[in-house]
Amino acid sequence: MRGPLRDPAHRVSRRAIALWLVEALIGFGFLVGGAALVAYWIGGSDWALVPGWLSDHAWLLPVAVAVVMLPFVIVEPLWRYAVHRWELAGDVVYARSGWLSREWVFVPVSRIQTVDKAQGWFERVLRLATVRIRTASHAGSSTIQGLDYEVAARLAEELARRAQELRDDAT
Amino acid sequence: MTGPGSPPSRPGTAQPGRQPYGQGAARLSPLVLLIDPIRMLPSLFLPLMGVLVAGGFSPTSFGWAAFGVAGSVLYAVIRWVTFTYSVTADRVELTRAFVGRSVRTIPLERIRGVDITTPPLHRLLGLAVLKIDTGAGGGDAEGELDGLTMGEAERLRAVLLSRGPAALPHPQGSLARDHAGSDMPSNIGSNAGSGAGPGVPAFPAGTTAAHVPIPAAHVPEQVHARVPRSWLRYGPLSGAYLLTPFALAAGAVGLVFQWGDELGLTERNVRRAVEWVWAHPVLPVAVVVVLVLAMPLAGGIAYAIFNWDFSLRSRDGYLIAERGLVTRRAVSLELRRIRGYELVDGLIERWVGVVRLWAVVTGLGDSQTRGQLLPVTPRKFAAAVASEVIGPLSAPLRPHPPRARRRRLFRAVAPWLVTAAVALALGWAVVTLAALALAAVGIPLGLDRYRSLGHAYDGTRLSVRSGSLRRAQAVVERRAIVGWTVRQTLFQRSSGVLTVVAGVGAGSGGYLAIDTGEAQGVEFAAEVTPDWIRPFLSKPPS
Repeated sequence: MRGPLRDPAHRVSRRAIALWLVEALIGFGFLVGGAALVAYWIGGSDWALVPGWLSDHAWLLPVAVAVVMLPFVIVEPLWRYAVHRWELAGDVVYARSGWLSREWVFVPVSRIQTVDKAQGWFERVLRLATVRIRTASHAGSSTIQGLDYEVAARLAEELARRAQELRDDAT
Repeated sequence: MTGPGSPPSRPGTAQPGRQPYGQGAARLSPLVLLIDPIRMLPSLFLPLMGVLVAGGFSPTSFGWAAFGVAGSVLYAVIRWVTFTYSVTADRVELTRAFVGRSVRTIPLERIRGVDITTPPLHRLLGLAVLKIDTGAGGGDAEGELDGLTMGEAERLRAVLLSRGPAALPHPQGSLARDHAGSDMPSNIGSNAGSGAGPGVPAFPAGTTAAHVPIPAAHVPEQVHARVPRSWLRYGPLSGAYLLTPFALAAGAVGLVFQWGDELGLTERNVRRAVEWVWAHPVLPVAVVVVLVLAMPLAGGIAYAIFNWDFSLRSRDGYLIAERGLVTRRAVSLELRRIRGYELVDGLIERWVGVVRLWAVVTGLGDSQTRGQLLPVTPRKFAAAVASEVIGPLSAPLRPHPPRARRRRLFRAVAPWLVTAAVALALGWAVVTLAALALAAVGIPLGLDRYRSLGHAYDGTRLSVRSGSLRRAQAVVERRAIVGWTVRQTLFQRSSGVLTVVAGVGAGSGGYLAIDTGEAQGVEFAAEVTPDWIRPFLSKPPS
């Protein structure tokens, strides 16, 4: 993308698309299920507040939700894959994330307090991992999702080692 | 349970080989025993009355009541006897051996601050409450010594605070006078001579070997600010305490319900009262009007009580902010941990030209009350005090691009316009008019929000400002920054702006420069910490 900041060097693992797709599908399921529940409730009630044409066609609600949301389920993982990138250069972690809204994070290794490598259930199946980098402030902390497990392990190891060497207690 | 006759220093309280600091294990002042029963009175009152009423005020019932009083006094005595505290070379230990035995240990280097408060009863008896702040997020990890003599509290504070890492030499007080304008009272930077007499601790030899001992007698206490009483008039402008009348009224209603049975308040009476009020609707309206009219007055009084004779002093590398009329409260903040400050003013305060001042401190629990450096004071005075105590910001704020103004306006006006349109479609005239009025108010509000936006960097400190109804300008040292986050929502992207968040391991954690231009925002971060950002710019800066 054009802008004052260049792209971070590395993409996340391609399998992250599958991870985000699964997550999007779960969210989609909850949303449509919730809409169906609301539709069921509206259809069964004869409240004066709910107009007649709506309670007669309540089944339209989950369908409409599904039709509107389905493209996002497909688009979000691909879009995220295009946006999510990371880099460790000059003892600074530079990571980009998001899709509709974006976030760039710069965390100098000298200010890192903890480095976590975490694997959720799906991540485990997909051999992915998430690296969480924490500093003394939530605004200076970064989470890199969807890394290949080997890459994540190496990155976490490297960060922990360098953070130990560069520890700066000014904060 | 320890009997009343046991010696104050029991084996095991202080670890063998550890030199007790000052005296060994000590107790609170016995005078606190006079306070405890009085404090228990409200909770004892109802049961006692119950016993007396149930017994028909017979001699036996008085006997039982006396037994209850004696029991609670005995309880207070036992609690006093079984609570001891000791300060050793590297820790404070609070030992409670009432039923079980609990020892709370607070390592001295973890102490971030010491607060001394003197509630009215304590003050009558010359006592104080000393709270030890460890920055652990409040609650159990903190220590409280309720009922020290004033002299002992001052001595303990000096001992506890001077044991932290060596104090930094703090900026001298001459700066403020250079800044002082014609309307500046001459009470900044005046020297109070060498501290209060009892506050100067006597250091036992040998206990401070590992640390640099602070020669307390040679570091005179410095007074940075004394807020004159005439400035208490600015208090109601802050909007704080304005709800006091309502809080008092709610408290009274709560009391009526709590003690309702005693006051003959039955359901029937309540219903009758409600019906009576319903028949006279003028009354509740009048009450509300009176309460609203009382708001500035009561708010001003509450503000004056809490901020009476506010003073800001520094000693031994600590800032001490003291205030209060009924309850005096002295909060100490370690200067070494202060990373900056925040100037906050509301809309009305800005018209009058007054601000409030907070310190940005790393690892400070309850920073809202503890971090306050000045109550509502004229802007020039607060700025002078801030630059004297913490450091000046010598760069003007840079404005954000006009696209940011469009966004502020849109956000302040559009929701109300939408509300008005929906209300119009549904035929709710009143709501439509109200929403339109709010949309109209949104125009100056949005413009003002835009005017507030700004960021600056002067080589040592950066500053960001935002907000309108509550405008806050943060000034933070560069070295406090632990990272940057740059955010851009879909809408910001279409306007070509972004939000830059400076992550700081102090205060609220992140300070936002909202809606900077794309290049401007990234340049700002790159200017403050070039090493962290420059390598990632898309083209080398010309």
